[in-house]
Amino acid sequence: MRPLLGLVLITFRELWARKIVLGLFIISSLVLLAVTFALNLDVVEGSLAGIRLFGQEATPEDLAEGDTPPLTLNRVVIAVESVVAGAAYWIGILLALFASASLFPDLQSAGRVELLLSKPVSRTKALFGHVLGVWSAIAVLTLYLMGGVWIIMSLKTGVWNPRFLLSLLIVVGMFAVMYAAVMLMGVWTESTALGLIVSYGLIFVSMVLAAANQISPTLGPVGRPVFWGLYHMLPNFTEVTQIVSTLAEGNAVSSWYPFFSSLLFGGAAYAVTGYWFARRDF
Amino acid sequence: MPALSVSSLSKTYRTGLLRRSTVQALDDVSLTVEEGAIFGLLGPNGAGKTTLVKILLGLVHPTSGTAHLFGRPAGDPAARQRIGFVPENHRFPGFFTAMQTLHAYGRLADVPRAERMDRILALLERLDLEGRGDSKVKTFSKGMLQRLGLAQALLSDPDLLFLDEPTGGVDPVGRRAIRDIVLELREEGKTIFLNSHLLSEVEKVCTQIAILREGSLVRQGSVEELTAVERVYDLVATPVPDALLDDPDTALQPAPDGAPPNPDLAQYRVHADDRTTLNAVLDRLRGADVEIESITPLRQSLEDYFIDVVDPPS
Repeated sequence: MRPLLGLVLITFRELWARKIVLGLFIISSLVLLAVTFALNLDVVEGSLAGIRLFGQEATPEDLAEGDTPPLTLNRVVIAVESVVAGAAYWIGILLALFASASLFPDLQSAGRVELLLSKPVSRTKALFGHVLGVWSAIAVLTLYLMGGVWIIMSLKTGVWNPRFLLSLLIVVGMFAVMYAAVMLMGVWTESTALGLIVSYGLIFVSMVLAAANQISPTLGPVGRPVFWGLYHMLPNFTEVTQIVSTLAEGNAVSSWYPFFSSLLFGGAAYAVTGYWFARRDF
Repeated sequence: MPALSVSSLSKTYRTGLLRRSTVQALDDVSLTVEEGAIFGLLGPNGAGKTTLVKILLGLVHPTSGTAHLFGRPAGDPAARQRIGFVPENHRFPGFFTAMQTLHAYGRLADVPRAERMDRILALLERLDLEGRGDSKVKTFSKGMLQRLGLAQALLSDPDLLFLDEPTGGVDPVGRRAIRDIVLELREEGKTIFLNSHLLSEVEKVCTQIAILREGSLVRQGSVEELTAVERVYDLVATPVPDALLDDPDTALQPAPDGAPPNPDLAQYRVHADDRTTLNAVLDRLRGADVEIESITPLRQSLEDYFIDVVDPPS
């Protein structure tokens, strides 16, 4: 257990030593400060009476547009949490991948891997410790931002949206899925750049796959099954955005399939990475 | 039980896009290192030294043959419980301090915290790094990094220590310090496996050596055995009469570069085909009232021996 914990701590510290992660931490802190101090809500008898954002004051009626009903506390909470969840999902994961992409190739580089694998640690445990370190570092950062926003908004308004916390797990889970692609390329090529290209490429492809229902009818008899095959095999990063926003809105998710099929991709990628890592000569 | 044993070990690397090209790094290598030995593995670049060490550490999988550490298969993590390793050009995370580095690698070596604290302080002092425990590793010189590498290898108090070019890039003072530590470790009964190009260092510390050439083990034995020149002896004695020197039966010549230990003595070289001839020469010398101070087998330097083995004169 001690060697595993040691590896988790080394990876965790290594990721937090990156300037980009420090930057994400600072940005998260600024968001939390903004939500705490810049967004002032006047709550009268449990209802929203006014909003002041960076000093600009408005009443719920001012913010109502056309036929939409006046702004309620619930809608303000959902709006803030949705924006934060969406940003954490897209911007956060993209930057977190960028920050962590070099960790695994570094771990396998000459001078580092010998120090690690000469210890009484199996390769499986070494890989698991590394993955756990990266996941936990990203989870802490996500928890800091999203958990912080959730607590602040809930305390300020009295509106508690527990489903928002589930979206936090989705963000960490999808990071783990995309990091699997980085690791797979890392164990195969030891290239940070290729890991990033492939993981970002998968995100781009997921944008196309998200329009499966529109694109599929336009394809021929060969193209259609290939397209659906890719849809089921590759991570559905874009479609999972819908799950994150549904949860942030406090609604029940109608289909978890895009998330679970993505997890399956991640699991398979980690398994192949583990197999190659165990067989490799260093 | 030997500290390590290798039997019929071969390793072929496959290279190229389709992995069709092959490089034979090791070819049927067998050797044994007993506990308490300081073993030097020598060989020119590309001889297979690093591959052999990496197989023993479980970093490289052998193509055929077996390797064991204290009776356990080399790839078994439990086999590495009793070993320490200082890789050539090792890299520690630069953001760690020396103390944090040792704690981190101590955890990986499964050293309990209380024990770790005591050993880290003792090792920092022993390796002349006390006062630098809180300095970032990225500020360390090459010599300090080597000593820190040695400290992480010694943290688990290993019985067998692998040192891969431990003095590479280190200045003479640092080299001397590392050599002294190796000698201290020998006194403590540790087994040391030294992989080095610096033959003078190897000659000074190793009790046993092996030479690899193109993946094959070509020589193995003690430094004294291997560097001894067969049937040639250095003789220090009172001056030998010219008549005996000129006599072909005595097989005695003035030593070409000999400097006697004092002005009353002279140094000679004796060529004797067998023990009987050697004793006959000594009897004749005594018969001529020559007093013998010492007689020792002639040795060549390890470097000369190494060159003869890996690049024999055609």
